[in-house]
Parts: sequence; structure tokens; C-alpha cells
Amino acid sequence: MSAPLSRTRDLVAALRRQLGEDDPQPPRAPLPPVPLPPERVFPSPRRRSRMAEAAAAHTTALVGIGHVGTRYATDVVLQFQAELAVAHGAVAAELPDGWAEARGYVPVRSRVAHHREFLLRPDLGRRLDEPSAARWSAECRKDVDVQPILADGLSAVATMGAGPELLDAFTRECERKGWSVGTPVCAKFARVWLQDEIGELARARVAVILLGERPGLGTGDGLSAYLVYGPKRGNTDGNRNMMSNIHARGTPPVDAARRLAVLVHLMLEQGTSGVSLDLAPRAAELGEAARGGYRAPQARSRLVEV
Amino acid sequence: MPVLEPLVPKVLTVRRLPGADPALLRAYGADPERHRALGLVTVDQDDPTYVALDEATKHAAVDVVYARSFYAGSRHASGPLSGEILGVLAGEDPAEVDAGLDALLQTLAHDACFYAADAGGNIAVFPHVIASLGHYLSAQAGLVAGTPMAYLVAPPMEATIALDYALKAADVRLVKAFPPPTETNFAAAWLTGELHACEAAAMAFAEAVVDVARQPRER
Repeated sequence: MSAPLSRTRDLVAALRRQLGEDDPQPPRAPLPPVPLPPERVFPSPRRRSRMAEAAAAHTTALVGIGHVGTRYATDVVLQFQAELAVAHGAVAAELPDGWAEARGYVPVRSRVAHHREFLLRPDLGRRLDEPSAARWSAECRKDVDVQPILADGLSAVATMGAGPELLDAFTRECERKGWSVGTPVCAKFARVWLQDEIGELARARVAVILLGERPGLGTGDGLSAYLVYGPKRGNTDGNRNMMSNIHARGTPPVDAARRLAVLVHLMLEQGTSGVSLDLAPRAAELGEAARGGYRAPQARSRLVEV
Repeated sequence: MPVLEPLVPKVLTVRRLPGADPALLRAYGADPERHRALGLVTVDQDDPTYVALDEATKHAAVDVVYARSFYAGSRHASGPLSGEILGVLAGEDPAEVDAGLDALLQTLAHDACFYAADAGGNIAVFPHVIASLGHYLSAQAGLVAGTPMAYLVAPPMEATIALDYALKAADVRLVKAFPPPTETNFAAAWLTGELHACEAAAMAFAEAVVDVARQPRER
């Protein structure tokens, strides 16, 4: 290793000449040779070992990324930091006031007062605050088949991105099947279970909440949808069906809307949801999602070029 | 000996403890949760060693957990290996501690040193300029890491006169003064400002120390 030396010795040598000392300072001891940095084991992301290639084809996890000495390579570290920054940015984002009104949704909010409280108190995010509950009761269409709800969840970035597109596509699917659809509503500082209270007030048969999902590395734009038959406070996660990874690199919103409508159809037919819902009758319509088994992993997008 | 000849510090001991006992770690200011390995040095010049310890924090994931000067300096040491200072680097990974020691030893061998301010080599001056502080000295000085700092040391009278020259020579600010007596009976001061200002102040300091050495009594 070579420490960059300070200029102090040169400055003192100059001062010494200035003070009239003619003889130069003794020569400095030679610096030791600088050892070469360790080799990168996989020299580039495009030339990996065959085993690493095969493993990476099965997962988006960071496998087969090689190493330099005992550390990660610079491009791997930068990519990781960039992906983490995307996730942090998504969690920190807030739905701006007026966003819902501008799109014609009824704006409601949970009992959470501010963003930090939203992250720390999931319980408060599951209940409507009183003015919102009153407004929603007054303005919503009652006794509907399906109540769609758009919400920020843990990524307002995702909601503001593909949220309206997903909501519109889902509403169209439902109307095409002849079901009555509730007034579009947009909830701020919302957790999944808020769908129970909103759906209960609208006396909906099925409530569907579309919200930004907890961001992962490099995916701050994913939406999830949670569906519950007979929304009422006290429902648990066992009563819900869900679909995640609704974004351009996962399930595109248009495909997602179609599959969500199939799930709603099953719920209306069977009068239940969650673990007791049988997906088999419409497995063909659900497509590959219902079959389970192997699915190719999503491609990672490179955020950093080195 | 010509004036302003470098007095290269002698590294007396370099030892490592790759897995130090938690009780020892705590006793020397390390945190057993974060530190496991120690690198220890004794050197016959304390101030170049403080600079070198700080340099180590810029090159490896290590903390300076312990660094103290010994009373009355290396000429009154408790043994031939004691010198004037014991410095301790601590890290989670022994390899990081090794990398820190490399940087420390290189700084002592090639960079930070006292200079003789008189022909006899009896008066020592340390007019060192750190271009960019590491996280050890920056915390000690209450400055942001990366700030330039002039680290100025000389015997009591020389340092006092020279500090006045240094402060007036350039646009610098006194961060911390160490009036005599310190452990080693020297006096010291830390100045900060732009890098070129720190350099001008340090050279004014060195020049003034040489001047006091040449003319100790004005009357």
C-alpha cells in the first residue's frame, strides 16, 4: 500500500534553503514497491464462471458476483448501493396532498398524523381517521359488488406511477363482467387492512386495495393487490388473497387487472376468500400464476455502469 | 547537523493481537461488539505517531482506541522499547488492522517527523500539515474529517513565540492549544484553514522556532 505523503517535508526543505542552508536534506528512504491490487476473480459481469451463470439464472439474488481479494468489486458495491437508494427513496416518498382530488378519487387518510408515525405504527395505518370515515360514508356508492381502493402503502412512488393505470384497467374488467363498482377512493398513509373499514362502510361484497409494496433492492415501483370477500374490521390475513410484483418488469398492470378480476369472480361465486378460496375452477383463466412451479426470475436492471 | 534536518522517528515495537480478550479491549477503550483485533506500536516520537494513527484510519476500517504520550518523553522512558507513546488501532478484521499498520508505518518512515531547529539537534520542531484529516484527529479536534490541519509542536518558549507568528502568517484559526507542560513537556497547537494557509502557517512556525533557537535572549 502507499500512503499519499503530505507536502510537509518538501515545504521544510524549501524553508531550509530560504534560511541559507545550502546543503540539501538527506535523501529520503525509497518508498517500498507498491504491491499490485488483488485480481478480480470474475473479471467482468459479462464473463462469469459457468456455475455462476447457471445459479444466477434461477434467482435475482446476488450470486456469482465474484470478488476482489476479500472484498466485493466496485461495480457490485455501487449497484447494491444504487438499488438500496431506490428502495430508500420509495419508502421515504409521500403521496402529495391534492394528488387524489386531481384524479377524481375521494381522498381519505388513516389515523396516522405524519410519515414517520406511518412507518412506526402499522396499527394506526389500518383505521380511517374520523373526518375521512364521515366523508367516505357520505360520498361512497353503497351496496356494490367490488370496491377498488388505491393507496400509498410502503411506496407512494409506485402508487403515483402505475397506480391509476392499474385502477382503471381493473375497474374496466369488473364493469365488463357486469359487476357494480364502488366510487374510486385513494387512501394516504394506508396499510392493507384499511380495506376492511373502507369496504365495510361501502357495504361492498369484495374490497380490493391496490397499494405500493415494500420496496426491495432496485424495485421501488412495485404494486400489490389484496382482495377480501366481505370486508369488515376483524378480518385477518387468512381472509385475504394477494398478488404482488405488479410493475413493468413483473406482471404488467393490464395482465394483473385481468387476473384480479378472475379472483374477484371466484370470490363472488364461492362467497369466500383467503385460504378457503378454491382457485381450481378458474385455474385456466388465472394463467401461469395459478400453476405454481418454476418461474423465471425478473431481470435486474443495471443502475450503474463502471 | 544542518538546521531543519529531519529527525526520523524510530518505531520501537509493532505487535498485533488478532483476537484480543474482551476485558483488554474494554480497558483500552475498544468496543468488543465492534473490535476484535488490535495493532499496537511504540515509537520514540509521539506527535508523528498521532498523525500516523490518524492516517491509518483513512486507509483501513480501523479506529484509534488508545494513544497516550509518556511523561517527560522518550529520553526518560521506562525501558528501551517504551519510547514516547503507545498507540493502539482496533478493528473487526485482523486484515484491516494490518492494512492500518502498513499506512501508519509508512507515514512514520516517509512523512511525519520532527526537525532539528538548531545545529546541535537539541531543539525539535514539528511543523506538520495534514492535507485531509482522518476520523481520529478530526474527532479530537472537533473538525469534519477531510479538513486540512496544521499540527505544530515545539518546546515551551519556542512554541509560544512561533504560534503567534503562525497565527499572523496566514488566514488560519486556532482549533486547540496545548500550553506547556504536556506529558512530554512540549507545547503544541492545532490550526485549521485552507490547505495553503495551513502550510504557510506551519512554515512560519518552523521559521520562528529556528529564530528563537538562534537568538534565545533578546536582552
